[in-house]
Amino acid sequence: MGRGAREDAEFRRKTVGCLDGLFGFALALSRDRAVAEDLVQEAYVRALKAARRPLASDDVRPWLFTILHNVWRNERRRRVAEPLDDMPEILETAVAIQPSAEEDLDRGAASDSIRRAIDDLPETYREVVALRFSEGFSYQQIAATLDCPAGTVMSRLARARALIKKAVLATRVPRVVGGRT
Amino acid sequence: MTDCDAARRSLLAYLDGELVGDERQAVEAHLQGCAACRRSYAAEEGLTAAIEAALPRPAAPEALRARVARLAERSGSRTRRYVTFAATLAAAVALLAIGIGRFRASEARRNDLVSVAIDSHLRYAGGRLPLEVRSEKTDDVSRFFEGRVPFHLTLPDYPVGPGEQKFYTLEGGRLVSLRDDYAAYVAYRMETRPISLLVASAARAQPSGRETVTSGRLTFHLDSVAGLNVITWVDNGLAYALVSDLSVNGDKSCLVCHGSPSERKKIPGFSAPRI
Repeated sequence: MGRGAREDAEFRRKTVGCLDGLFGFALALSRDRAVAEDLVQEAYVRALKAARRPLASDDVRPWLFTILHNVWRNERRRRVAEPLDDMPEILETAVAIQPSAEEDLDRGAASDSIRRAIDDLPETYREVVALRFSEGFSYQQIAATLDCPAGTVMSRLARARALIKKAVLATRVPRVVGGRT
Repeated sequence: MTDCDAARRSLLAYLDGELVGDERQAVEAHLQGCAACRRSYAAEEGLTAAIEAALPRPAAPEALRARVARLAERSGSRTRRYVTFAATLAAAVALLAIGIGRFRASEARRNDLVSVAIDSHLRYAGGRLPLEVRSEKTDDVSRFFEGRVPFHLTLPDYPVGPGEQKFYTLEGGRLVSLRDDYAAYVAYRMETRPISLLVASAARAQPSGRETVTSGRLTFHLDSVAGLNVITWVDNGLAYALVSDLSVNGDKSCLVCHGSPSERKKIPGFSAPRI
């Protein structure tokens, strides 16, 4: 096997190795398994046909996720538009929340409500949450994937966290303070 | 010394490992001396851990995994299978168009090719199957399928004879799933009536029907299911299913399939629109 063929085989191996992550991202964007499958398949079609691509030695994930995100953007244009930055009044409230020790979240109990809260986030927040917390992308990698400034990524992540926290706290049963048993 | 407001603004970036050098050191120094900001940091750290734990990490479905593996395999191969089917498609569309009788409703068990073709046709006709490429140009639609399906598809233009008008128009296409792989769905319209063509690898789909009509080297399988007429056949390693609510009659199909425009005019009941 020549050098070019080895490079090609390694590139394909690494590309296919991103499948689960890509599917999770596609699911976070579309919230529909069938649509997510189509998005991933289309992303791979484009990636594997691409004339310009990263080397196998590079991290191919940001490149692949960018392709998938572009596929999704094209796809959503054909669908009924979901407002990208909806719920402004909720955002203003959410970002004003200051964390405190009392609001520290019980992970186990909050897991379901966190999952629901993430699912209810507007798309612009769901996508940064998925790339940051599922894939561990840096702000710069997320910015490159979503084609936006790193500062925007940072503020979207902060707002997403605030919204998640607000949603989780809203599901808590109020504690009785100062009561006697 | 960084104040609490400045530290809070940088806290998430610090938590996410985005700060370096002086900025990082400034936040660390502030946290060491400020119990309130340490509590905030601990809360945000807890939230990060909770989000990471709560986020679903779904594995890709096996069928998708198999399709992606095949795509990757094909991308490494220089050989491609080029298949054209111009005359056959035109013939089958014409077969649906000659409307005289109807086949009896089939009691036979439908196979995947027929089921998926009918399902896709009904969804498209009902506005529930959006096309991924919309064009009347065969080149545009053929290009869309390039690399997306495990075969090469060149959609034909209907061979129009002198004084004859093309009696169907291409509307576009999309991918549909068929047995863990993608098949090509192509939508046509004859006046106001939708016609659907499904193309798949013959390794994954076989034709079926209550009646067969052999024409040259091809055998067309004809059936009627739920008021829809279906013609399936295999040619050059690909399986085709053509679905429409147009009436069909197999009696004259041989001429329709492989006849010239002048021969088609001799078929009773068949008349393509004139220019």
